Amino acid sequence: MLRYARRRLLSAAVVVLAVTVATFLMLHVEPGDPARAVLGEHATPGEVQALRHQWGLDASLGSQFRRYVGDLVRGDLGQSYLAQTSTTSLIRARISVTASLVGMATLFSILITLPLAALAAVRQDRLPDHAVRALSVAGLGLPAFWFGIVLIEIFALRLHLFPVGGWGDSFGAHIQGLILPALTASFAIAPILVRSLRVGMIEVLDADFVATLRAKGLGEFRVLGHVSRNAVLPALSLLGINIAYLIGSTVVIERVFGLAGLGSLLLSSISERDFPVVQALTLILATGVVLINLLTDLLAARLDPRIRLG
Amino acid sequence: MIDEERTLTRQELLRYGAAGAVVVAVGAVPRPSFAGNRVLAANPKTGGTLRFARSIAPTTLDPANTIIAGDIYTLDKVFEPLYITSPSGKLTPWLATGYTLSKDRKTYTFALRPGVKFSDGKPLGAADVVFSLDRSRTNKKGPLSFLDFAIKSTKASGEKVVVQVSQPWAPLLSDVSAFSNAIIPANYGGAAEKAFFADPIGTGPFTVSGFKPNAPSLTLKRNPSYWQKGKPYLDAVTFLFVDDDNQRLLQLRGGQADAIDLVPPSQVASLKANSDVHALLSSSWQVDLLVLNEKDPHFADRNVRRAIMQAIDTKALAHAATFGTAKPGGSFFPPSLQYYSAKTKVLPHSLAAAKADLGKSKYPNGFSTELLIDGGVQKWRTFAQIIQNQLKAIGITVKIRALDHAAFEEAFQKFDYKMFIDYAINDISDPDEMASFELDYKNGGSSSYWSSYNSPAVTKLVRQAQSEFNPAKRAKLYARIQNAVAQDAPFVPLDYPPYINAYSTKVNGFAVNPGGAYRLENVWLA
Repeated sequence: MLRYARRRLLSAAVVVLAVTVATFLMLHVEPGDPARAVLGEHATPGEVQALRHQWGLDASLGSQFRRYVGDLVRGDLGQSYLAQTSTTSLIRARISVTASLVGMATLFSILITLPLAALAAVRQDRLPDHAVRALSVAGLGLPAFWFGIVLIEIFALRLHLFPVGGWGDSFGAHIQGLILPALTASFAIAPILVRSLRVGMIEVLDADFVATLRAKGLGEFRVLGHVSRNAVLPALSLLGINIAYLIGSTVVIERVFGLAGLGSLLLSSISERDFPVVQALTLILATGVVLINLLTDLLAARLDPRIRLG
Repeated sequence: MIDEERTLTRQELLRYGAAGAVVVAVGAVPRPSFAGNRVLAANPKTGGTLRFARSIAPTTLDPANTIIAGDIYTLDKVFEPLYITSPSGKLTPWLATGYTLSKDRKTYTFALRPGVKFSDGKPLGAADVVFSLDRSRTNKKGPLSFLDFAIKSTKASGEKVVVQVSQPWAPLLSDVSAFSNAIIPANYGGAAEKAFFADPIGTGPFTVSGFKPNAPSLTLKRNPSYWQKGKPYLDAVTFLFVDDDNQRLLQLRGGQADAIDLVPPSQVASLKANSDVHALLSSSWQVDLLVLNEKDPHFADRNVRRAIMQAIDTKALAHAATFGTAKPGGSFFPPSLQYYSAKTKVLPHSLAAAKADLGKSKYPNGFSTELLIDGGVQKWRTFAQIIQNQLKAIGITVKIRALDHAAFEEAFQKFDYKMFIDYAINDISDPDEMASFELDYKNGGSSSYWSSYNSPAVTKLVRQAQSEFNPAKRAKLYARIQNAVAQDAPFVPLDYPPYINAYSTKVNGFAVNPGGAYRLENVWLA
């Protein structure tokens, strides 16, 4: 197990490193000058040049990269050009929004997936199964932002059950404000999870051990318990991958719901070419994705010896 | 202390496709008060918190180091300048009560308003004004420090402030009204610069403490020492920063926000149908321009430029792309700007005339060219498609080149374009900023808005207007300039977009100046 974990950890580190290099290169090769963005149109070329020098943007790409990595190793994510403050403090103020959104969306995804998949598997090819499958196809086709707006119209504007958007200023308000966005995010991935878990369960339901369990006279509900433990593995890997997708989708969902998280910071920083912030955010989001995949792999390996030994 | 004015930064405006412009303030001398868009009830109510959802979070409150709308429209509630521009576009004495000008027109002596105090209770003095003006005008990194270039020196003389200019300079009062010239305490009141702007002290109606850049919201509290007795009416203002246009509208409709900014033009009609909210369209010092690059041989030909001007139907364009919220373009000065001439001899839309002018050019059968836009803005994409269509009718084939915002700015500023669409903004009430920036090829700072248009006759008029103090004579000079530009067509003014804000009907006294700035000391909640 340890050897497996080490191997996975190493490849995760390589991925993060590759993302770091790729982001750095793409940002610096792409046209668009942060100094111009900060100084405005009336700035003379000399003033733009002076600011570029101050930020070290006139140095060669190689030496800029060495400096960036050097700072990174010391744990310094740099200063935001625009906010003239440390990137770390900008991110610290927002990371809890994004993390809570991803956490709650994951929880909702699981809560939606388990009963629906079980229902569809047990009632295979009957009405409930067809209904669940139709629903997931429909769910897959809905753009998240549109679905979010519909939820706002119904549950916030008409029923006044939730705020229209925003993060609120108390713990209770945070939770209340997260429900609609988390629901929107989870609807984007639940259909895939439901379909995968349903197939997994159907396969397991056909297995010999299930026949044995039934023959022993076990109730259908307890049979299902045994089935889900065996069927959950593929769904778990899929969940891991989809949380990664979820992290990416927060960029849109935060915008639709007016949540000031990392996604909205990323968008505005890209358009202003605030390099240090974009680099730090990509690094953090990539690390988050890689970590979750790593955890999923390790969990799967723990549940299934074939994975870690294979 | 800054003032209020100013506007969205060019970038922001572009990004959001709103209108924007510049500054200035409000208020009349003895007791400034503006009626907003609606009639003020007899007795304003005191108290309450205004929740205002805005598109951009501030990153700094330092007036001398920003040009970004999110910063400007926050810091102008805390800091005030000597003069401001009222919602009607009039320059109004603010922290100054007036000035005298020497015979040679090179020495201004400003009298400061008595009884003005900073939010820490200390009185405003001449030293504070000198410190602030010097800090702003000598700041090489200040996006608006160019406005102060005519100022040679400043000094305190008793309770007065003496400003020397290097040449007779008609726009001076307007220059000092820029938010970047707002007044802060001398030497930051003893604090370190950075610490000062985190807990700023100003003369404005509201105060901020513990400022954090880019936070999701920011609460401003009433300044108890504010110099206008009984104001502000509000106890506090909470700015909520919501970048999505639709989410801001939903927050207004859902009652989470009392007011919002940058309403998309497409939503104005539906807001007007809603009796709980009010959409306010305020004219701006902004003009959307189609700029023609004279470094390209096609556009160096005056007949080609005139043909393009006449081929574009600005009426149809403004109607289609702005849902009728913007006025169609004519003069390169917006109608809300001082010395705008409604009589400018603009070439009218006419395909026949366009074809005739193109026939006189070196390219009588048309040509192929490219139109550069910031592809992130829906309005520009619509504009580009309409222009593409309209120019096709005279044989000019246009390829649209859409870049993201930062790449777009870099491209046109490096003259890497044939035609581009952008908005031009005047930041203060005086039109010299726009005239010099767009027409004075050598001294204006942008090679005539990157068009490379270089008319010695026009440049001469622009410089003459800078030192003309007689309003009637100055108006004549600007009328001649506007006529010349309309005939030479270095750029095609497409439309004059308004600022569009919206608020709930319980909000009273809300008004916006042509710089897009809204002072909030007159706002009260029913």
